[in-house]
Amino acid sequence: MLLEIENLTMQFGGLVAVNNVSLNIQEGEIHALIGPNGSGKTTIFNVVSGYYKPTGGMVRFKGQTISGLPAYKITALGLARTFQNLRLFRSMTVLENVQVALGHHARTRFWQHVVAPLAVRQEERQLKEKAMEKLRLLRIEQYADELATSLPYGLQRRVEIARALATEPTVVLLDEPAAGLNETETAELRDILLQIRAAGITIFLVEHDMKLVMEISDVVSVLDYGKKIAEGSCSAVSCDPVVIEAYLGKEGE
Amino acid sequence: MKTRTTLWKTLALVALLALLLAMPKIARNDYQVRILNMTGLYILISLGLNIAMGYCGQINLAMGAFWAVGAYTAALLNVNFKWPFWLTLPAAMVATAVIGSVVALPSLKVRSHYLAIVTLGLGEVINIILVNEEKITRGAMGIPGIKRPSLFGFVFNSEQKYYYLVLAAVILGYLIARQITRHRFGRAFRAVRDDYVAAKAMGVNIGFYQILAITISAVYAGVAGVLFAHLNTYISPDIFEFRSTLFVLTMTMVGGMGNLLGSLVGGVLVILQEALRTFRDWQLVFYGVAVVLVVLFFPGGVMGIAARWRERQASRLARQADTGEAGNGPSGEAR
Repeated sequence: MLLEIENLTMQFGGLVAVNNVSLNIQEGEIHALIGPNGSGKTTIFNVVSGYYKPTGGMVRFKGQTISGLPAYKITALGLARTFQNLRLFRSMTVLENVQVALGHHARTRFWQHVVAPLAVRQEERQLKEKAMEKLRLLRIEQYADELATSLPYGLQRRVEIARALATEPTVVLLDEPAAGLNETETAELRDILLQIRAAGITIFLVEHDMKLVMEISDVVSVLDYGKKIAEGSCSAVSCDPVVIEAYLGKEGE
Repeated sequence: MKTRTTLWKTLALVALLALLLAMPKIARNDYQVRILNMTGLYILISLGLNIAMGYCGQINLAMGAFWAVGAYTAALLNVNFKWPFWLTLPAAMVATAVIGSVVALPSLKVRSHYLAIVTLGLGEVINIILVNEEKITRGAMGIPGIKRPSLFGFVFNSEQKYYYLVLAAVILGYLIARQITRHRFGRAFRAVRDDYVAAKAMGVNIGFYQILAITISAVYAGVAGVLFAHLNTYISPDIFEFRSTLFVLTMTMVGGMGNLLGSLVGGVLVILQEALRTFRDWQLVFYGVAVVLVVLFFPGGVMGIAARWRERQASRLARQADTGEAGNGPSGEAR
């Protein structure tokens, strides 16, 4: 099992945002996490990626307990994420945004940056090539030198994904990648996600666009009020009366 | 087109360098050269502050204290142990780096103006130590008799000769700062400043870079302090008042944060300050007003205005090319 979430509980004062949730994510699958607004999806992402320390339970990644580790270390272990509200570096070009995430490729030391410009320049070339690879994967290489925040919304989302992939993750957590995208953009995103999986990267996905979720997910887990109410294949989950009730309410009400 | 602009740039650079080399001859007296020397030192401090504050977003208001630590380290080693400038300089760099990284530790817990207040307080603590540790620092009496530096028998024993030492230090300091900020470290600093939450998710160890940026700024101030101690040959605690830190802050913000050239441009303020010496009491008011105006209307400082002007030129050129090719087709802003 690549990523194991075990009896995870996250409490903020009296509010239990995530209540005793267990999830297992297998290598190579696209695992979607769905549920009504406020059901705790993003909270789970924040715990797994190291932004919150869980109040109960634990998270294991490649067999190692990661809950409680600082976020940057979790990223270094191979778990990357994107943000629901875009968080691009606003002073940077698209290329620079991606290059920030390439720190693990860099071998030069600080003193070399002070006294050895040639070694640094050589490494910069390699980093640029690595970054361009990611931009090509996301089909945004022609915007490399544009200021990232000046791009249309849909493209900014892709810069976020390119940046996450640049950390060379084994699993990537995508928080509503299709939010705000039109139909064409969503279709293109679907192709890109399938391409990412084909490259051997596991995808853990929070998404409200049910069409997209049903098209690409191998496993779907459903959250409601911080509890997991269902898990299974797309077809099984979409027929589950408990799930229908969570989304649409009880019949006869 | 491109080769022509590089040619012009090279010519301008050569002209600037020639002008800088000729400055001691152009200046009418020692006093004017002295002001140029002080300008160089302030530019060094501002380069450091620009890395910490402009690039990494870490407001470090202990710059005056670091400059004092550099100056005192050099003075004490030179006067008590006869260390020459070329040894006091690296020693002071190590000392300011160590103390700088300690002062930087609170950046792990507090940010923005809270960090400003903490560094301000720690800087004052350092100054108070310098005044009160009379056995070591001679307190308010200061330390006289610091030797001028020499290089292969050439002694920098006049303002004019010292000018070239300061000029070399500023050029080297600028080039190193540029080298640091242009590549990986600069990007990590800016990532911390732009969005530290996202930076963490990109695997950036933000605490490390915050401490590094503040430590670099401390070393820059320390080097300026060493140069000052050996130039002035006498130092006392009252030279390092908080006013100097505020001045460097003003210089950096007016020049342009996050752009090293801004620190060079800000150097003009040192000369301006000297020219307006008669209004000395009003200086703090002037700094305050300048900073408020910059923050409100020109967040990028002088360099920001220059960049905006260049962008407008570029988009006008693009528009002209557009209309030239496509007749009178509609055309928007470049971005």
